[in-house]
Amino acid sequence: MRTTTSSAARRTRLRYAVPAAVASASLFLAACGGGSGDGGDGGDGGSSGAPAADVLDKASGVTTVAFWHAMDGTNAEALTKLVSDFNAQNTGKIEVKATYAGKYDDAITKYKAAIQSKSTPDVIQIYDIGTRFMIDAKQTIPMQAFIDRDKLDVSDLQPNITGYYSIDDKLNSMPFNTSMPVLYYNKSLFTKAGLDPEKPPQDLVAIRTAAEKLSKKAGGPADYGFGAAIYGWLLEQFIATDGKEYCDQGNGRDGKATKVQFDSPESVEVVKWWQTMVKDGLAANTGRDTKAAQAAFKSGQLAITLESTGQLGGFSKAAKEGGWELGAANYPHIKAGTEGGPIIGGASLWINGENHEDANKEAAWRFVKFLADKKSQAQWHIGTGYFPISKGALEEPSDVEYRKANPLFDVAVKQLENTKLSKATQGCLLGVMPQARKASEDGLEAALNGTDPQEAMTKAAESLKSQIDQYNSSVE
Amino acid sequence: MTTTTGEPVLAEHDPDRPNQPPQAQSNNAAGSGAKRERWVALGYLLPALVIFGLFIFWPLVKSILLSVQGTDILGNPSGFVGFVNYTRLFGDPDFLQVLWVTFAFTVLTVIPSIAIALLIALLLQSRIRGVRFFRTAFALPFAFSVATASVIFGVLFNPASGVLNGILNTFGVDKVQWLTNPDLALWSVSGATVWMQIGYNLLVLSAGLGALPEDVLEAARLDGASGLRLQRSIVMPLLTPQLFFLVVVGTIHSLQSFGQIKILTVGGPEDRTTTLVYSIYEQAFANNNSNYGYASAQAMVLLIIVLIITALQFGVLERKVFYR
Repeated sequence: MRTTTSSAARRTRLRYAVPAAVASASLFLAACGGGSGDGGDGGDGGSSGAPAADVLDKASGVTTVAFWHAMDGTNAEALTKLVSDFNAQNTGKIEVKATYAGKYDDAITKYKAAIQSKSTPDVIQIYDIGTRFMIDAKQTIPMQAFIDRDKLDVSDLQPNITGYYSIDDKLNSMPFNTSMPVLYYNKSLFTKAGLDPEKPPQDLVAIRTAAEKLSKKAGGPADYGFGAAIYGWLLEQFIATDGKEYCDQGNGRDGKATKVQFDSPESVEVVKWWQTMVKDGLAANTGRDTKAAQAAFKSGQLAITLESTGQLGGFSKAAKEGGWELGAANYPHIKAGTEGGPIIGGASLWINGENHEDANKEAAWRFVKFLADKKSQAQWHIGTGYFPISKGALEEPSDVEYRKANPLFDVAVKQLENTKLSKATQGCLLGVMPQARKASEDGLEAALNGTDPQEAMTKAAESLKSQIDQYNSSVE
Repeated sequence: MTTTTGEPVLAEHDPDRPNQPPQAQSNNAAGSGAKRERWVALGYLLPALVIFGLFIFWPLVKSILLSVQGTDILGNPSGFVGFVNYTRLFGDPDFLQVLWVTFAFTVLTVIPSIAIALLIALLLQSRIRGVRFFRTAFALPFAFSVATASVIFGVLFNPASGVLNGILNTFGVDKVQWLTNPDLALWSVSGATVWMQIGYNLLVLSAGLGALPEDVLEAARLDGASGLRLQRSIVMPLLTPQLFFLVVVGTIHSLQSFGQIKILTVGGPEDRTTTLVYSIYEQAFANNNSNYGYASAQAMVLLIIVLIITALQFGVLERKVFYR
């Protein structure tokens, strides 16, 4: 009798336990279910064209432009300044309301939810690797429609920057914050190691040779001669400086890309080189967190690193505080003498047309045009260190002044101007580009931890196959 | 204390089994009264039912539906695909690793966090000066949010400037890559998680120890039990309800851990800290993914795992629990 009672008691408790488990597991399901709605038919519906140019004159009252961005810290301050300048110029006509939508990844996730609830902002800033997705989401009006309507002269825009965001010479979105990769090195450590501080290494072999003199292991002054984050962007750059394409279909410019090519011989060569450097104690493996590699370079543990122009300010400050001299140079090539150059990175501005009033589209265009203007771009460049998209911005007196104070920035300017625009340097357009970048990092990381480079990169590239197919079939 | 049957007396008055209300099967006119009572009961239950339904059961149903559908690039269901998401899931060799990591992480966090908390709780029972201070101090991790604690641990784990390597360095140990060494990362994240959970476990166990019946302890002492013998044979059995509670809650909690993984390792290196929940997040929300179908299939697997483990715990482990 006693046993039956207690087993009944157990059963009772079990009955409590099951809902408890369901409840707890459902927490995550709730999050997953959140994205499903029935909206977002995404049809063209005539909303992909520019409105009539005089629509704003006919509109009464103030047209409010909702603007979502992904800038924080000092970048956000500089952006807020630009927005309030624009609002002051358009008092009584247009008012831009800027909202921080989280980091790039969060912003695009939020944007997807907004598409489903038909509440997209008038203007949104989306990272470079979201470009193909933005085109396929069919929510936006291409910049080219406005440019053609206004017969606007866009020769002031840097072609190497607009190239990324163009297909068939038609501009989809307006580049805004732009950065480029460069090679940074510690001149003081170079001198200590007996290397010429004015001759930074410009290819893989040269970096290794320098690292052999710089690294502690070989009796050099730095912990490691070389070190960079496991960051897919850097691998993309090596492929581009080699003049090769990252994905097929002419880097996704001739048609929808169907596979990535970071398992190609050139790419594997980079990975193998990197792996051997780490194995031989000449390079540090600081993991995927870019901040870790930055910190190591700032504190003088690394003599050479690869980073974006966006780090110039932080590195200069660290050099000044640490009493060493910073150097910057072109992004290295795999082999000397290859024809190619780096791809720009950053983000661009998109104008949403689907479910938006004509007056808003026009007001959004005026705002975008304002941000792309040389004066705004000079101000933006000085305030943030991002590369100006306007050639004229570099001639603005304030900008000339800025570059006099930060002469290393001219390295990036020259690098961009000397890069021949090709499909390789335009960069790969791929719907699942964020995933591709991550997969390449998986491969690189595995290799740095000892997996065979070819095997690691092939596995990473193959893991994307089904995702690319799925993406392509769902946007047909 | 019945020791002969192994099934203690306890079921006879079980606090978890409140007196069942007498079933209203009366012959007189109580029929309508019972009916009204049922409506009243329903009224009381309604708020809870609505909230549960809206936030727990509806999403659950929705997830089941999503898991058998494809997803377009915006995250909309793109039509019924049957069990494709599930077959893809179980055909994926990486998924096996995800399950293994989830299991390892749970074991590495639940057991140490209870064991260490128990040890501290026992030590804090001693009547020394300032014990109240220590009680508060040791329970303090409970007051930290996962995000805050993770950021702090991130700083401690920093290979170049972190305190941990600083200490090791004074002993001549070379830099340890706490979070980027594939063989070490899971241990580091688990260690941080154990720290976060100790505070709560300590509170529960201290309360349990404080409520031990003085007469039973007294009797045991009179019988000559002391020290370890007293702890093992008297205190531990009396503490089993709290320990059991912590195992169940801790397991569910660990299976759902997310913040520390996102902040400390982002699932890396080489996905060696990608647990099931983190994998769901990655498929659904990270890197511009919106594979809600695939993520929902994983969520179903998580649900079933949690159900099985909880059922096992209640079915097997609870036999050892000593309810007074």
